[in-house]
Order: sequence, then C-alpha cells, then structure tokens
Amino acid sequence: MSATRGWSLRLRARPDFRVDLGALQPATLARMTAADIAGIEVRHGNEMLALGELFDVAAVASENPGLRLEGDLSRFDAIGQGMDGGVLRIDGAVGDRLGLSMRAGEIRVLGRAGALAGCEMAGGLIEIDGDAGDFAGGALPGSMDGMRGGTLVVHGDVGARCADRMRRGTLIIRGDAGDFLASRMVAGTVALAGKAGAHCGYGMRRGTLVFAGTPPAAPPTFVSTHHDIVVFWRLLRRNLAYHGGPFAALPARAPRRLVGDLAADGKGEWLLPE
Amino acid sequence: MSELESLQAGDADVGNTPGLRNGVVIDDTFAEAFPMKATRVLITAHNETWARHAAVSMTGFATSVIACGCEAGIERTLVVDETPDGRPGVAVLVFAMSGKELAKQVERRVGQCVLTCPTTAIYAGLAEGEPIALGRNLRFFGDGWQISKMIDGVRYWRVPVMDGEFVAQESTPVVKAVGGGNLLLLARDTEAALAGAEAAVEAMRAVPGVIMPFPGGVVRSGSKIGSKYASLMASTNEAFCPALTPLVRHSELDADTRCVMEIVIDGLTEADVSAAMRAGIEAIIGRGAAAGVTRISAGNYGGKLGPFHFHLHKLLGGERAA
Repeated sequence: MSATRGWSLRLRARPDFRVDLGALQPATLARMTAADIAGIEVRHGNEMLALGELFDVAAVASENPGLRLEGDLSRFDAIGQGMDGGVLRIDGAVGDRLGLSMRAGEIRVLGRAGALAGCEMAGGLIEIDGDAGDFAGGALPGSMDGMRGGTLVVHGDVGARCADRMRRGTLIIRGDAGDFLASRMVAGTVALAGKAGAHCGYGMRRGTLVFAGTPPAAPPTFVSTHHDIVVFWRLLRRNLAYHGGPFAALPARAPRRLVGDLAADGKGEWLLPE
Repeated sequence: MSELESLQAGDADVGNTPGLRNGVVIDDTFAEAFPMKATRVLITAHNETWARHAAVSMTGFATSVIACGCEAGIERTLVVDETPDGRPGVAVLVFAMSGKELAKQVERRVGQCVLTCPTTAIYAGLAEGEPIALGRNLRFFGDGWQISKMIDGVRYWRVPVMDGEFVAQESTPVVKAVGGGNLLLLARDTEAALAGAEAAVEAMRAVPGVIMPFPGGVVRSGSKIGSKYASLMASTNEAFCPALTPLVRHSELDADTRCVMEIVIDGLTEADVSAAMRAGIEAIIGRGAAAGVTRISAGNYGGKLGPFHFHLHKLLGGERAA
C-alpha cells in the first residue's frame, strides 16, 4: 500500500483561551500543503487565530489520512468533530467534545479527555487512555439521542451521566463510572470493569449494561429474570473479550440478569457475570 | 450391439478413455443446469440433535421448485468453533428461482421450523450478497417484547419464547447460484442402483457448497419438460424408464438395465456443482461395473434452456467427444 501524506501538529505553547479544532479533519488535511494548514483559522476565545500560530506543522508518512497532535491539548475542544475517516492520534490530554458526532475513522488519545467525549458519535472508534469527563457517549443538551454507533473505549474512569440517552454502539469503561451511568439509555451496550456511582441505569429504557467488576446495588425499579440467555451472552461475550482486561475473562456461563428501569420502558438489562 | 456392449467389448482400447472407467460407461453427454438464487443459514442449538431436528424440519418438502417453492438441504454439520455462538450447529442451503421467492420460503420455513424448535438460534452463513429478511420480520412474534442488539456491526433479534430467547440474525445474504446439476445412474437392478446412489451421495456430501435436495439425495422420478397433458409442466422421463424400454420410440436403456436413479445437485457456484458431480462419478467408478451400476449419464434439454453445461467427460479430465 502506498503511503499517504499525514501531518503532525506540535503545540508551541498552551493558549490563553479555549480553542475550537472542529475544522481539522485528517482526510481534508491530507490534500493540503503545510502552508495551507498553517493558514487555517480556528476560534481562540472570541477571536480567530491561524493554526500556524499555535502549532508547528510537519509532514509524516502515513498509510491512511492521518493527523497527529502533540502536547497538552486540554484547552482544545471538538477535536475530531464530525470526523468521517482517517486516523487521529493525540499525544496528550484533550478538551471537551472529542469526536463529537464522528461517523467513521479512529481517534486515539494518550491522555485524558474532557466532557462530552464521543458525544452523539455514530461510527468509528475512539480510544482514550486516560479518564473521560462527564457525558461521555452522551447527548448534547436538548438532543434526544446520545451515542448512535461505533465504539468508545475509556481505559480510565468516566464522569457522571456517561452514556446518557445512548442509542446504539458499544461503550467500554476499564475504570470506574460516575453517577447516573446509562441514564435514560435507549439502546446499545455499556460494559464497565470498575465501580458505578449512584443512580446507575436511571430511566433506562432499553440497552445492555455489563458489569465485569463489582456491580452496584440494584435499585427497586430493576427486577431479576431467570431465563436462559446463554446464546445472546456468548455472542456479546466474544465481542467484549476483544477489548481485553477484565472483559477477556468473562465467564462462559450465562450471567444473572436484571431488567429495568420499570419506571421507564423497563426493557433495559443489567448483566452480572458471577 | 448396444452402446454399453460395444464399449465394454473394446476393453483394452477404451479402458482408459473418459468413456469407460473400471467397466462403467460414462456417456458423452452433459447435465444442464440453471441459475438460481441461494442463501446459507446456520442453525445452532443446545446440542447437535436439536439443531438437526430444526434443519430437517426446515428442509422438508423442499425437493424441487416445481411444486415446493424452493430446494433446500443440509449442507453439513458444524462444530462449535464454526458457529457464531459456539454451540453445535448445522449449515442449511436454500435455493429458489428468484430472490423474492427465496425470501418468502426462508421466512416461512424459519418461522415454522426453527423458531419453533427448542433451544435453536439462526444466523446468516454467507458473508456477502443482497440481504433478505431472516429475523427482521419474525421478531414481531415477540409482540413488542423483542429486543434488537447490534454486535460487531451485525443486528440480532432476541425474541422471548418459552425456553428463553430465540436469537436470529436480522438478515441473510443471497447470492447467484446453480441448480439442477444431475447424474443418472443406470444399474442392473434396484439393489445395485440404490447402493451405488448411496455411495455417490455420501461422496458428494463431503463437497462444500452443495446439496442434493431429494430424499436421501436420490430421485427415482426423473422428469422431462412438458407432458401430453397440457396442465402438467413436467412428466416422467420415459427414455430412462425400464418399464417403457420396448414401448417408446426412443429409449436410452438396454434390456440389462432394470433400474435408474438420478442425483440432483444444487450448488452455490458452478465449481461446487462440478466438484460434487465429479465426486459422485468417481465414487461409482471406484466401485466398478461389477457393483451393478454399469453406466452414468446426465439429463439435459439439448443445451437450449440452461446456461450451465456439465460435460461428464470434461469432469473426468478428458475432452468432450465431438
């Protein structure tokens, strides 16, 4: 396979205000020159600023349209927003709205992510090595649906309201989750290796929550079912095992199953491997 | 002297030609086959017995598209490493003359024979093709309690039933396929014809991608197109009926041939059908004419109806006689 042009953007200095990087798409940048890229204007606080004033731009060989961001980007928001392909790698922390509404491609963050990571994403893969803030895989305020497809993997902890209104896709959490995990969840799969905060599954309508670690106490609006779900479990377990860690060791026998939230549609499920 | 006698009399000269193998005459003719639409589904269950119960039921009354709507059969048994859910299973192939008819047959048969069978689940067995519904419509049996689940980009339906859940993949791909490959086994008597046909079918079942849809893989009522009765689209193939040897204007049989069996082959590809026919012919040749099957022929319509022609001599590596 011939190498495609990729780009590396090294942060010169931490900006004074927050910067919106939603305009940067690996596939688009692959067709541009270094000068063109340095000239892209991004919002910095209340003003527009050329990208070249924030980053050193360098070309790198890449198999796919690729973009590598280096430095502490915790003040940079909307990285990978609406991404539709290519590979984006961030060697450091990122701000809010990582991969917002992305449809395809891969984002890998070696540090932590702010709020709304993978928010309303519809496809592709986001992998965050550190923690993720509130509303990871969730919905924007006023939106009916959160994450709509793809896979979001968080190796650290996630904040509150993770997977809020999530409708489709897979969300893997290797650490702990904050309060209201999977609140108002519509469908999809969330797998949690660590502990969950308060009010887990609040208003959950459908969807699947898998607790590979210590499960939270079931609220009174969740009830136990006793039927054989081994077929579905084997399909799901094999998929989760791909993500390694505690998910690779999920037992083959069918887990205990709770359904709820009966205060909502009541067709969501908690799977508790024993 | 009949064709059989003349070939067998020329032993030393023709013993290694495609026309005569181990005393078995291979006719210089071809099987004529037709394009069909096909899909493969994988049925799994708590154990192989129940998977097979479902598969046998689903492939029942599916010998010929003439009146069954489709042709279906068990392709092979699947071990646990080969199935999506890691349970024992069975691969089933279903063939029909159109994608629309295939969709209708698959939905009816899965709904009545797999959904109903204890512990079963059903999955698509092909990777690519135009999708038709598998669990997409059967999910409504769940009366609102059904659950959709996307795993690895594949949608499954979980329908609550009395033994737990019926899991069905959303759809199954349909591919272009080949139907109507055939072999005619001409034997000295019924015993020999059956034994030869059974041996051939056993060898052909080892070939992937094919089914022999008739009972036991064998059909004794080979047909020709049309009839003296206007309402019938097919009728008995009198040229291969021993009862009619001295009566019809043209018979393919001599006085020593008292029983003929046909094996019909449907395959996912032309190569699959070729491989199966070759395996069947070689099984008969391996038994030799002394076992009672003295001649192998094939059914065709003069090459005017079906685009796939399987020449028996070519299958054995020889060139077709002019």
